[in-house]
Amino acid sequence: MSLGHLGYALVLVGVAAATFGAVVGLVGGLRRRPATLRWALGATYAFAGAMLAANLVMEVGLLTDDFSIRYVAQVGSIQTPTVYKIVSLWSALEGSILFWGLVLGGYLAAFAWLHRKEDPLYMSVALGVMLSVATFFAFLIAGPANPFEVLPNPPSNGPGPNPLLQNHVLMIVHPPMLYLGYVGMTVPFGVALAGLIKGEIRTSWMGPLRRWTLTAWIFLTIGIVLGGWWAYAVLGWGGYWAWDPVENASFLPWLTATAFIHSTMVQERKRMLKLWTLSLALASFVLTILGTFMTRSGVFNSVHSFTQSDIGPTFLVFIGILLVACISLLAFRGPLLVAEDHIKAPLSRETSILVNNLVFAALTFVVLVGTLHPLIAESLFDKRVSVGAPYFNRLTLPFWVAMLFLMGVGPMLPWGRADGSRFRNQFLVPAGAALLTVGVCVAFGLRGGYALSVFGLAAFVTVITLRELVLPVRARMRDKQESFFKALSGSASRSQRRFGGYIVHLGIVLIAVAVAASSAFVSHTTATLRVGESFELQGHQMTFEGLVRGQEPHREYVAARLQLTPRGGDGQRLLAPRMNYYESSTDPVGTPAVHDTVREDLYVSLLAFDGKSQIASFNAWTFPLVSWIWWSLPILAFGTLIAVWPVRRRKPGKAGTKADGEGGKPEVAPADAPSPTAEQGAA
Amino acid sequence: MKRWWWVIPAGAVAALLLVVLYRAFGTDPRAVPFQLKGQTAPDFEMKVINGEGAMTLESLRGRPVVMNFWASWCGPCAIEHPILEWGARSMGHRVQFVGVVFEDTEANARAWLARHGASFPHLLDERGQVAVDFGASGVPETYFISADGTIVDKHVGPISQMDLVHRVDQLTGG
Repeated sequence: MSLGHLGYALVLVGVAAATFGAVVGLVGGLRRRPATLRWALGATYAFAGAMLAANLVMEVGLLTDDFSIRYVAQVGSIQTPTVYKIVSLWSALEGSILFWGLVLGGYLAAFAWLHRKEDPLYMSVALGVMLSVATFFAFLIAGPANPFEVLPNPPSNGPGPNPLLQNHVLMIVHPPMLYLGYVGMTVPFGVALAGLIKGEIRTSWMGPLRRWTLTAWIFLTIGIVLGGWWAYAVLGWGGYWAWDPVENASFLPWLTATAFIHSTMVQERKRMLKLWTLSLALASFVLTILGTFMTRSGVFNSVHSFTQSDIGPTFLVFIGILLVACISLLAFRGPLLVAEDHIKAPLSRETSILVNNLVFAALTFVVLVGTLHPLIAESLFDKRVSVGAPYFNRLTLPFWVAMLFLMGVGPMLPWGRADGSRFRNQFLVPAGAALLTVGVCVAFGLRGGYALSVFGLAAFVTVITLRELVLPVRARMRDKQESFFKALSGSASRSQRRFGGYIVHLGIVLIAVAVAASSAFVSHTTATLRVGESFELQGHQMTFEGLVRGQEPHREYVAARLQLTPRGGDGQRLLAPRMNYYESSTDPVGTPAVHDTVREDLYVSLLAFDGKSQIASFNAWTFPLVSWIWWSLPILAFGTLIAVWPVRRRKPGKAGTKADGEGGKPEVAPADAPSPTAEQGAA
Repeated sequence: MKRWWWVIPAGAVAALLLVVLYRAFGTDPRAVPFQLKGQTAPDFEMKVINGEGAMTLESLRGRPVVMNFWASWCGPCAIEHPILEWGARSMGHRVQFVGVVFEDTEANARAWLARHGASFPHLLDERGQVAVDFGASGVPETYFISADGTIVDKHVGPISQMDLVHRVDQLTGG
């Protein structure tokens, strides 16, 4: 039995386990047979095990250059360095779907294990829904996207993975992070759909639902930012975000998931927006599937859709089933989820979150329509149009500004009803900081309405967020005579969600400032030089010293030597933007040279060269603050980690919503004293 | 009934989405309209690297031309080359095969030809001007030019034997 046959057999085991578990879970849960949960759990573990084993088999095939497996013959090559052999698992369609199966198996097994002691009927339905999704993917791996097909006449060598994927180490991390984000949305989807099917969602489920979504959210965030970083470091066009359909595809579920994370607070606190919150969880999942369809079906023109295939129709059927199931369940079962409260005052935390949700929903709509517009125009009006960055920038900018403003105002407002005069007092200092920031920027000669309003609002949000973080700490230091660090950790563990959430807000502010600065104050020049000639950009002097040819195991390259004298004159260094030539590629793949500092990046790419006359053309940019975008990642991850960290079990009587901030503003404490197992159920 | 009002628009939007996505199948988003089709081919004069002197398109008037852009660093060009070699030997009496070296050095191109064979003239596009004139965006790309100098069609990517025979038949009306 060859490796290919073994892998395929494992995939079939996965199909069987997922199908069995989906049927048993759904039927058992709906017929109120608690004993069937055992079977659903077993099926989940079996599916996860089969996927793990199938992925291992594929890795063995890739590492041993077993070209009798079709996928290995398609993406493998003897020359590929080992690390790229390992990651070529997700370098083309079939492998990435197989990897998707592994991630899905991991999530499902973790969910099953952590919540195995929950209400068995609810768990059965939730697992049934998730395993239905697993059935679809297992079927995809077994049929339309089968990577294990055995070739009767295996070639002696293959072309190697897509050169773009071999060009940078970020490509090793970016796709798995995105998959962890995408696939992670399956869990909240299962929980939310089970809530709809059963017509009730217990408040004790809201904690786990939020934590699972946060887990998927942070992976999606990291995946998106790393993708931008990769594009910046590899593609050489001097940007990190192009509103490409596939980028938008990852951005859409991010928007709805972010809205969801905020609206769960209202649901937990006020027992409102239940249907809306669940709809957001469903939408996030449907959008990940739509996103995968966009990436993989080849109907979009994008840098990412290098893996076109015929799995499109299968995905479309799945999207159809999802839409019908979600809409009809929301229609028939939704009315069972009635709000138990309503908004009492326009100036309150719940209103600000509601507005935040509306802004996110509007953004999702704008991005979705822009992304689909070329398809709509072609299929309905037979016109070819392309919707580019200007559309998205123009239409989304006002929303971003509104969002920043809400990020500041929201945390200042208490639940229920705000005291107008107190609110005004709290408003003064941050507003002053915003005006001061704008004033300083103008004094330094910076112009541009949007960029300056972003900077001003960033100061506004930062001041408020830091105040919200520090005030409880100061109160503890004063009332309990604690040291700063003790008070800090006490305050953080007392209200992890709030604390973690505000740290994430600070990370987002960093991104907003970096995006505004690097897009509004970019400078660009091109130069065509002979050896010895030089050019200048923003005070950086670059002298062309000639071309160098070189060879690496999987590629050849031509690099231009540019002697850089940075602005100010000190710290001369060599920049070497290059072109890489891969055996399998018709086009060279560039690698720009980046000289990065806290203040700005100098970014040079080699545009063209002539080896004989030693003439080279360069594109050079300076991007102020751009690297802040990547540096926000640890902050975002740290904040999320605090927010999802399993809450310690509280002794009865201690749980509650005691005021813990100055002025007696209640904390977002674990509102509803969830069951202990639910509390352990963080990812 | 009040809670139901949104189902119809939501259903309609979902149905529209599915229709749009369904109809998108089978269209190639990358298909770029080929501007030069049917136009007179821009003339050129390029150095012959596996022979003497230079060659102009003008000098080939009266014979259909199959013009292939390639480079020594291009993997698919190496895969395609034997088909062109075969084409030049078996159909060279009906059409003129010409290779154009794209973004490459003369030395590399010569070495490559020594390895892979050269049954037809290969020309050096020194500044990439001819590639720009013809709108070649990458390699390999093959242009089909009629006897009166009109660009009839082009093929992007490595050409198959069947495609090549078919296009040459179209060029020569045979």
